[in-house]
Amino acid sequence: MSSGAKRGLGWALGALLLIVLGWWGWQRFRPYAFHGTVLQSAEPAPDFTLMSADGPVSLSDFRGRIVMLYFGYTFCPDVCPTTLFEVQKTMELLGEDADQVQLIMISVDPLRDTPERLKEYVQYFHPSFIGVTGSEDEIAQVATQYGIYYEKHEGTPATGYLVDHTATLTVVDRKGYVKLIFPYGTPAEDMAADLKYLIEH
Amino acid sequence: MNAYRWVVRGVYGFFGVLILAVVAFKVFQPVQVLPRVRLGPGFILVDQNGAPLTNEDLRGKVVLYSFFYTRCPGDCYGVIPTLQYVQAQAPAALGDIPFRIVLISLDPEHDTPERLRAYAERVGAQPDRWVLATQPDPQRLRMLIGSGFNMYYDPQPDGSIRFAPRYVLVDGWGIVRGEYKYETLTSTEERIVRHLGVLAEEIRNSQGSAKLAYEAAHFFLCYAP
Repeated sequence: MSSGAKRGLGWALGALLLIVLGWWGWQRFRPYAFHGTVLQSAEPAPDFTLMSADGPVSLSDFRGRIVMLYFGYTFCPDVCPTTLFEVQKTMELLGEDADQVQLIMISVDPLRDTPERLKEYVQYFHPSFIGVTGSEDEIAQVATQYGIYYEKHEGTPATGYLVDHTATLTVVDRKGYVKLIFPYGTPAEDMAADLKYLIEH
Repeated sequence: MNAYRWVVRGVYGFFGVLILAVVAFKVFQPVQVLPRVRLGPGFILVDQNGAPLTNEDLRGKVVLYSFFYTRCPGDCYGVIPTLQYVQAQAPAALGDIPFRIVLISLDPEHDTPERLRAYAERVGAQPDRWVLATQPDPQRLRMLIGSGFNMYYDPQPDGSIRFAPRYVLVDGWGIVRGEYKYETLTSTEERIVRHLGVLAEEIRNSQGSAKLAYEAAHFFLCYAP
Protein backbone atom coordinates (compact mmCIF):
# COMPACT_ATOMS: atom_id res chain seq x y z
CA MET A 1 0.00 0.00 0.00
CA SER A 2 1.32 3.46 -0.82
CA SER A 3 1.68 5.95 2.00
CA GLY A 4 -1.06 8.10 0.42
CA ALA A 5 -3.52 5.22 0.48
CA LYS A 6 -2.56 4.45 4.09
CA ARG A 7 -3.16 8.03 5.08
CA GLY A 8 -6.52 7.97 3.31
CA LEU A 9 -7.46 4.79 5.12
CA GLY A 10 -6.42 6.40 8.42
CA TRP A 11 -8.63 9.43 7.82
CA ALA A 12 -11.54 7.24 6.82
CA LEU A 13 -11.13 5.09 9.93
CA GLY A 14 -10.82 8.14 12.15
CA ALA A 15 -13.93 9.71 10.66
CA LEU A 16 -15.89 6.47 10.96
CA LEU A 17 -14.82 6.13 14.57
CA LEU A 18 -15.90 9.66 15.35
CA ILE A 19 -19.32 8.99 13.89
CA VAL A 20 -19.70 5.71 15.77
CA LEU A 21 -18.50 7.21 19.05
CA GLY A 22 -20.70 10.22 18.56
CA TRP A 23 -23.72 8.06 17.90
CA TRP A 24 -22.96 5.86 20.90
CA GLY A 25 -22.38 8.87 23.13
CA TRP A 26 -25.65 10.42 22.02
CA GLN A 27 -27.62 7.24 22.69
CA ARG A 28 -25.88 6.77 26.03
CA PHE A 29 -25.81 10.32 27.39
CA ARG A 30 -28.60 12.21 25.66
CA PRO A 31 -30.85 13.85 28.21
CA TYR A 32 -33.97 11.88 29.03
CA ALA A 33 -37.10 13.72 27.94
CA PHE A 34 -39.53 13.59 30.86
CA HIS A 35 -43.25 13.44 30.15
CA GLY A 36 -44.05 15.43 33.29
CA THR A 37 -43.09 19.05 33.84
CA VAL A 38 -39.55 19.18 35.20
CA LEU A 39 -38.74 21.30 38.22
CA GLN A 40 -35.09 20.92 39.11
CA SER A 41 -35.53 23.07 42.18
CA ALA A 42 -32.47 24.09 44.17
CA GLU A 43 -34.58 24.19 47.32
CA PRO A 44 -35.78 21.11 49.20
CA ALA A 45 -39.52 20.45 49.10
CA PRO A 46 -41.22 21.94 52.17
CA ASP A 47 -41.50 19.28 54.86
CA PHE A 48 -44.77 18.56 56.64
CA THR A 49 -46.08 16.23 59.30
CA LEU A 50 -49.70 15.12 59.00
CA MET A 51 -51.80 12.37 60.51
CA SER A 52 -52.47 8.96 59.01
CA ALA A 53 -54.49 6.15 60.56
CA ASP A 54 -51.17 4.55 61.56
CA GLY A 55 -49.65 7.63 63.17
CA PRO A 56 -47.91 10.82 62.04
CA VAL A 57 -46.34 10.88 58.57
CA SER A 58 -43.65 13.34 57.46
CA LEU A 59 -42.33 13.87 53.96
CA SER A 60 -38.81 13.48 55.39
CA ASP A 61 -39.65 9.91 56.51
CA PHE A 62 -39.31 8.89 52.88
CA ARG A 63 -35.79 10.10 52.01
CA GLY A 64 -34.27 7.48 49.74
CA ARG A 65 -37.59 6.77 48.06
CA ILE A 66 -39.60 8.65 45.49
CA VAL A 67 -42.76 10.26 46.84
CA MET A 68 -45.83 11.16 44.81
CA LEU A 69 -48.02 13.74 46.53
CA TYR A 70 -51.67 13.92 45.64
CA PHE A 71 -54.13 16.40 47.08
CA GLY A 72 -57.72 15.11 47.05
CA TYR A 73 -60.59 13.98 49.24
CA THR A 74 -62.56 10.80 49.74
CA PHE A 75 -65.94 12.24 48.72
CA CYS A 76 -64.37 13.30 45.40
CA PRO A 77 -66.74 12.16 42.65
CA ASP A 78 -64.51 11.57 39.63
CA VAL A 79 -61.15 13.35 39.41
CA CYS A 80 -59.55 11.65 42.43
CA PRO A 81 -60.57 8.06 41.64
CA THR A 82 -59.46 8.53 38.02
CA THR A 83 -56.05 9.80 39.11
CA LEU A 84 -55.59 7.15 41.80
CA PHE A 85 -56.51 4.38 39.34
CA GLU A 86 -53.87 5.77 36.99
CA VAL A 87 -51.29 5.70 39.81
CA GLN A 88 -52.38 2.14 40.63
CA LYS A 89 -51.69 1.21 37.00
CA THR A 90 -48.35 3.03 37.20
CA MET A 91 -47.39 0.90 40.20
CA GLU A 92 -48.30 -2.24 38.27
CA LEU A 93 -46.18 -1.11 35.32
CA LEU A 94 -43.24 -0.48 37.66
CA GLY A 95 -43.38 -4.08 38.86
CA GLU A 96 -40.64 -4.75 41.38
CA ASP A 97 -39.60 -1.10 41.38
CA ALA A 98 -42.99 -0.10 42.80
CA ASP A 99 -41.64 -0.35 46.35
CA GLN A 100 -39.31 2.57 45.49
CA VAL A 101 -42.36 4.81 45.06
CA GLN A 102 -44.69 6.01 47.83
CA LEU A 103 -47.97 7.72 47.10
CA ILE A 104 -49.26 10.05 49.81
CA MET A 105 -52.73 11.49 49.45
CA ILE A 106 -53.23 14.70 51.42
CA SER A 107 -56.84 15.51 52.20
CA VAL A 108 -58.19 18.91 51.16
CA ASP A 109 -61.36 18.12 53.13
CA PRO A 110 -60.06 17.76 56.68
CA LEU A 111 -63.54 18.23 58.17
CA ARG A 112 -64.95 15.03 56.68
CA ASP A 113 -61.82 12.93 55.98
CA THR A 114 -60.74 11.14 59.13
CA PRO A 115 -57.43 9.25 59.02
CA GLU A 116 -59.37 5.97 59.15
CA ARG A 117 -61.66 6.90 56.31
CA LEU A 118 -58.64 8.00 54.25
CA LYS A 119 -56.83 4.74 54.90
CA GLU A 120 -59.77 2.68 53.76
CA TYR A 121 -60.14 4.88 50.69
CA VAL A 122 -56.53 4.89 49.45
CA GLN A 123 -55.96 1.21 50.19
CA TYR A 124 -58.85 0.39 47.91
CA PHE A 125 -56.52 1.56 45.11
CA HIS A 126 -53.22 0.11 46.33
CA PRO A 127 -52.15 -1.43 49.64
CA SER A 128 -49.04 0.77 49.84
CA PHE A 129 -50.87 4.11 49.45
CA ILE A 130 -50.99 6.38 52.50
CA GLY A 131 -53.68 8.96 53.25
CA VAL A 132 -53.03 11.87 55.62
CA THR A 133 -54.96 14.80 57.02
CA GLY A 134 -54.54 17.54 59.60
CA SER A 135 -56.11 20.71 60.96
CA GLU A 136 -57.58 23.17 58.46
CA ASP A 137 -54.59 25.48 58.99
CA GLU A 138 -52.05 22.71 58.49
CA ILE A 139 -53.71 21.60 55.25
CA ALA A 140 -53.97 25.20 54.02
CA GLN A 141 -50.26 25.71 54.66
CA VAL A 142 -49.12 22.55 52.86
CA ALA A 143 -51.46 23.18 49.93
CA THR A 144 -50.24 26.77 49.58
CA GLN A 145 -46.61 25.68 49.56
CA TYR A 146 -47.22 22.99 46.93
CA GLY A 147 -49.13 25.30 44.59
CA ILE A 148 -52.46 23.62 45.30
CA TYR A 149 -55.64 25.66 45.28
CA TYR A 150 -58.78 24.21 46.82
CA GLU A 151 -62.20 25.58 47.60
CA LYS A 152 -65.42 24.20 48.97
CA HIS A 153 -68.56 24.68 46.95
CA GLU A 154 -72.13 23.46 46.85
CA GLY A 155 -72.85 19.93 45.69
CA THR A 156 -76.14 18.07 45.67
CA PRO A 157 -77.88 16.69 48.75
CA ALA A 158 -76.56 13.26 47.71
CA THR A 159 -72.90 14.27 47.51
CA GLY A 160 -72.81 16.96 50.18
CA TYR A 161 -70.45 19.83 49.48
CA LEU A 162 -67.70 19.35 46.87
CA VAL A 163 -64.14 20.62 46.93
CA ASP A 164 -62.60 22.05 43.78
CA HIS A 165 -58.88 21.44 43.82
CA THR A 166 -55.72 21.37 41.75
CA ALA A 167 -55.48 17.83 40.42
CA THR A 168 -51.77 17.52 39.69
CA LEU A 169 -49.41 14.88 41.09
CA THR A 170 -46.17 16.19 42.58
CA VAL A 171 -43.10 13.95 42.44
CA VAL A 172 -40.47 14.41 45.16
CA ASP A 173 -37.13 12.71 44.43
CA ARG A 174 -35.06 10.55 46.75
CA LYS A 175 -33.19 13.52 48.18
CA GLY A 176 -36.39 15.38 49.00
CA TYR A 177 -36.54 17.86 46.10
CA VAL A 178 -39.61 18.43 43.94
CA LYS A 179 -38.58 16.90 40.63
CA LEU A 180 -41.68 16.59 38.44
CA ILE A 181 -45.29 17.62 38.16
CA PHE A 182 -47.77 15.38 36.37
CA PRO A 183 -50.81 17.29 35.16
CA TYR A 184 -54.24 15.68 35.52
CA GLY A 185 -54.71 13.06 32.82
CA THR A 186 -51.06 12.00 32.45
CA PRO A 187 -51.24 8.33 31.28
CA ALA A 188 -49.84 5.63 33.57
CA GLU A 189 -47.34 4.61 30.87
CA ASP A 190 -45.79 8.09 30.86
CA MET A 191 -45.66 8.31 34.66
CA ALA A 192 -44.13 4.84 34.90
CA ALA A 193 -41.45 5.73 32.31
CA ASP A 194 -40.49 8.92 34.19
CA LEU A 195 -40.45 7.16 37.57
CA LYS A 196 -38.42 4.29 36.16
CA TYR A 197 -35.84 6.77 34.91
CA LEU A 198 -35.69 8.44 38.34
CA ILE A 199 -35.30 5.06 40.04
CA GLU A 200 -32.47 4.00 37.74
CA HIS A 201 -30.51 7.27 37.80
CA MET B 1 0.79 0.63 13.01
CA ASN B 2 -0.44 3.67 11.22
CA ALA B 3 -4.17 2.87 11.27
CA TYR B 4 -4.02 2.13 15.00
CA ARG B 5 -2.45 5.54 15.63
CA TRP B 6 -5.31 7.15 13.75
CA VAL B 7 -7.82 5.28 15.85
CA VAL B 8 -6.18 6.60 19.02
CA ARG B 9 -6.15 10.12 17.59
CA GLY B 10 -9.79 9.73 16.68
CA VAL B 11 -10.71 8.80 20.25
CA TYR B 12 -8.68 11.70 21.71
CA GLY B 13 -10.15 14.02 19.12
CA PHE B 14 -13.68 12.95 19.94
CA PHE B 15 -13.38 13.51 23.65
CA GLY B 16 -11.38 16.69 23.09
CA VAL B 17 -14.14 18.14 20.93
CA LEU B 18 -16.77 16.99 23.43
CA ILE B 19 -15.03 18.63 26.38
CA LEU B 20 -14.35 21.80 24.39
CA ALA B 21 -18.02 21.94 23.39
CA VAL B 22 -19.15 21.62 27.00
CA VAL B 23 -16.67 24.25 28.20
CA ALA B 24 -17.64 26.60 25.37
CA PHE B 25 -21.33 26.12 26.21
CA LYS B 26 -20.69 26.95 29.84
CA VAL B 27 -18.35 29.89 29.16
CA PHE B 28 -20.12 31.57 26.24
CA GLN B 29 -23.63 30.54 27.29
CA PRO B 30 -25.24 30.65 23.86
CA VAL B 31 -28.50 29.78 25.58
CA GLN B 32 -29.58 31.37 28.85
CA VAL B 33 -32.52 30.47 31.01
CA LEU B 34 -34.20 31.51 34.23
CA PRO B 35 -33.80 29.06 37.14
CA ARG B 36 -36.70 26.89 38.23
CA VAL B 37 -36.77 28.09 41.80
CA ARG B 38 -39.70 26.27 43.40
CA LEU B 39 -43.41 25.64 43.02
CA GLY B 40 -45.40 28.84 43.01
CA PRO B 41 -48.07 29.03 45.71
CA GLY B 42 -51.64 27.80 45.47
CA PHE B 43 -54.30 30.35 46.38
CA ILE B 44 -57.74 31.77 45.92
CA LEU B 45 -58.05 35.55 45.91
CA VAL B 46 -60.86 38.02 45.22
CA ASP B 47 -60.11 40.47 42.41
CA GLN B 48 -61.16 44.11 41.89
CA ASN B 49 -64.47 42.97 40.36
CA GLY B 50 -65.27 40.76 43.34
CA ALA B 51 -64.60 37.63 41.25
CA PRO B 52 -62.46 34.73 42.50
CA LEU B 53 -58.93 34.44 41.13
CA THR B 54 -56.98 31.19 41.67
CA ASN B 55 -53.53 30.05 40.63
CA GLU B 56 -55.33 27.52 38.39
CA ASP B 57 -56.94 30.39 36.46
CA LEU B 58 -53.43 31.68 35.77
CA ARG B 59 -52.02 28.37 34.54
CA GLY B 60 -50.67 28.81 31.01
CA LYS B 61 -49.93 32.48 31.62
CA VAL B 62 -46.67 34.12 32.63
CA VAL B 63 -47.48 36.04 35.84
CA LEU B 64 -45.62 38.76 37.69
CA TYR B 65 -46.79 39.05 41.30
CA SER B 66 -46.21 42.06 43.48
CA PHE B 67 -47.60 43.45 46.72
CA PHE B 68 -49.02 46.75 47.92
CA TYR B 69 -51.95 48.32 49.75
CA THR B 70 -54.14 51.18 48.54
CA ARG B 71 -53.24 53.49 51.45
CA CYS B 72 -49.55 52.98 50.66
CA PRO B 73 -48.01 56.46 50.37
CA GLY B 74 -46.98 57.94 47.01
CA ASP B 75 -45.86 55.43 44.40
CA CYS B 76 -45.72 52.69 47.07
CA TYR B 77 -41.94 52.43 47.31
CA GLY B 78 -41.59 52.32 43.53
CA VAL B 79 -43.90 49.35 43.06
CA ILE B 80 -46.40 51.25 40.91
CA PRO B 81 -43.96 52.82 38.39
CA THR B 82 -42.17 49.47 38.09
CA LEU B 83 -45.41 47.69 37.23
CA GLN B 84 -46.46 50.48 34.86
CA TYR B 85 -43.16 50.04 33.03
CA VAL B 86 -43.56 46.24 32.90
CA GLN B 87 -47.16 46.56 31.70
CA ALA B 88 -46.03 48.79 28.84
CA GLN B 89 -42.99 46.70 27.85
CA ALA B 90 -44.36 43.17 28.34
CA PRO B 91 -46.09 42.80 24.94
CA ALA B 92 -42.82 43.50 23.10
CA ALA B 93 -40.91 41.06 25.31
CA LEU B 94 -43.45 38.24 25.28
CA GLY B 95 -45.18 38.51 21.89
CA ASP B 96 -48.40 36.49 21.97
CA ILE B 97 -47.55 34.57 25.16
CA PRO B 98 -50.32 35.37 27.68
CA PHE B 99 -49.18 37.57 30.56
CA ARG B 100 -50.70 39.02 33.74
CA ILE B 101 -49.55 41.28 36.51
CA VAL B 102 -51.20 40.29 39.79
CA LEU B 103 -50.90 42.97 42.44
CA ILE B 104 -51.92 41.61 45.83
CA SER B 105 -53.11 43.91 48.60
CA LEU B 106 -51.70 43.25 52.08
CA ASP B 107 -54.61 45.15 53.67
CA PRO B 108 -57.75 43.03 53.07
CA GLU B 109 -59.81 44.71 55.81
CA HIS B 110 -59.58 48.08 54.11
CA ASP B 111 -59.04 47.16 50.46
CA THR B 112 -62.46 46.13 49.22
CA PRO B 113 -62.98 45.31 45.53
CA GLU B 114 -64.35 48.87 45.04
CA ARG B 115 -61.19 50.42 46.46
CA LEU B 116 -59.01 48.09 44.40
CA ARG B 117 -60.98 49.01 41.27
CA ALA B 118 -60.59 52.73 41.94
CA TYR B 119 -56.87 52.28 42.54
CA ALA B 120 -56.51 50.22 39.34
CA GLU B 121 -58.05 53.07 37.34
CA ARG B 122 -55.84 55.64 39.01
CA VAL B 123 -52.60 53.82 38.18
CA GLY B 124 -53.70 52.87 34.65
CA ALA B 125 -53.92 49.10 35.14
CA GLN B 126 -55.32 47.61 31.93
CA PRO B 127 -57.86 44.95 32.97
CA ASP B 128 -56.56 42.33 30.51
CA ARG B 129 -52.97 42.70 31.72
CA TRP B 130 -52.99 43.88 35.29
CA VAL B 131 -55.26 42.51 38.03
CA LEU B 132 -55.54 43.76 41.61
CA ALA B 133 -56.70 41.26 44.22
CA THR B 134 -56.56 40.26 47.86
CA GLN B 135 -57.47 37.41 50.19
CA PRO B 136 -60.30 38.68 52.43
CA ASP B 137 -59.31 36.43 55.35
CA PRO B 138 -56.27 38.12 56.98
CA GLN B 139 -55.00 34.83 58.42
CA ARG B 140 -55.08 33.05 55.08
CA LEU B 141 -53.46 36.07 53.44
CA ARG B 142 -50.67 35.93 55.99
CA MET B 143 -50.15 32.24 55.21
CA LEU B 144 -50.13 32.87 51.46
CA ILE B 145 -47.68 35.75 51.62
CA GLY B 146 -45.52 34.13 54.29
CA SER B 147 -45.24 30.49 53.29
CA GLY B 148 -46.28 30.88 49.64
CA PHE B 149 -44.25 33.93 48.59
CA ASN B 150 -41.72 33.81 51.47
CA MET B 151 -42.31 37.46 52.18
CA TYR B 152 -42.63 39.28 55.47
CA TYR B 153 -44.94 42.22 56.13
CA ASP B 154 -45.78 44.02 59.28
CA PRO B 155 -49.11 45.85 59.75
CA GLN B 156 -48.72 48.88 62.03
CA PRO B 157 -51.31 50.20 64.53
CA ASP B 158 -51.80 53.34 62.40
CA GLY B 159 -53.00 51.27 59.42
CA SER B 160 -49.76 51.45 57.45
CA ILE B 161 -47.91 48.27 56.52
CA ARG B 162 -44.16 47.82 56.59
CA PHE B 163 -42.78 45.69 53.78
CA ALA B 164 -39.98 45.67 51.24
CA PRO B 165 -41.10 45.79 47.59
CA ARG B 166 -40.92 42.39 45.96
CA TYR B 167 -41.71 40.91 42.58
CA VAL B 168 -42.17 37.22 41.84
CA LEU B 169 -42.17 35.84 38.29
CA VAL B 170 -44.10 32.57 37.79
CA ASP B 171 -44.31 30.66 34.50
CA GLY B 172 -47.34 28.98 32.92
CA TRP B 173 -46.59 25.71 34.72
CA GLY B 174 -46.85 27.45 38.09
CA ILE B 175 -43.10 27.43 38.74
CA VAL B 176 -41.31 30.44 40.28
CA ARG B 177 -38.68 31.63 37.76
CA GLY B 178 -37.53 34.88 39.29
CA GLU B 179 -37.64 36.81 42.56
CA TYR B 180 -36.69 40.47 42.69
CA LYS B 181 -36.18 41.87 46.12
CA TYR B 182 -32.90 43.74 46.13
CA GLU B 183 -31.73 46.61 44.01
CA THR B 184 -29.05 45.54 41.56
CA LEU B 185 -26.87 47.52 39.16
CA THR B 186 -29.54 47.36 36.51
CA SER B 187 -32.90 48.68 37.60
CA THR B 188 -35.45 46.11 38.71
CA GLU B 189 -37.96 47.00 36.00
CA GLU B 190 -35.43 46.58 33.20
CA ARG B 191 -34.27 43.31 34.67
CA ILE B 192 -37.83 41.98 34.87
CA VAL B 193 -38.58 42.91 31.26
CA ARG B 194 -35.31 41.34 30.08
CA HIS B 195 -36.19 38.18 32.00
CA LEU B 196 -39.62 38.11 30.35
CA GLY B 197 -37.77 38.00 27.02
CA VAL B 198 -35.53 35.15 28.22
CA LEU B 199 -38.55 33.20 29.44
CA ALA B 200 -40.40 33.82 26.16
CA GLU B 201 -37.46 32.40 24.18
CA GLU B 202 -37.53 29.25 26.29
CA ILE B 203 -41.31 28.87 25.98
CA ARG B 204 -41.10 29.26 22.18
CA ASN B 205 -38.35 26.61 22.07
CA SER B 206 -39.98 24.14 24.43
CA GLN B 207 -40.65 21.65 21.61
CA GLY B 208 -38.37 19.31 19.69
CA SER B 209 -34.59 19.44 19.53
CA ALA B 210 -34.29 23.09 20.58
CA LYS B 211 -35.63 21.98 23.97
CA LEU B 212 -32.42 20.01 24.53
CA ALA B 213 -30.29 23.15 24.33
CA TYR B 214 -32.53 24.77 26.96
CA GLU B 215 -32.41 21.72 29.21
CA ALA B 216 -28.60 21.79 28.84
CA ALA B 217 -28.65 25.46 29.88
CA HIS B 218 -30.61 24.46 33.01
CA PHE B 219 -28.18 21.63 33.66
CA PHE B 220 -25.12 23.88 33.37
CA LEU B 221 -26.82 26.66 35.35
CA CYS B 222 -26.57 29.15 32.46
CA TYR B 223 -28.81 31.67 34.22
CA ALA B 224 -29.57 35.08 32.79
CA PRO B 225 -28.10 37.76 35.08
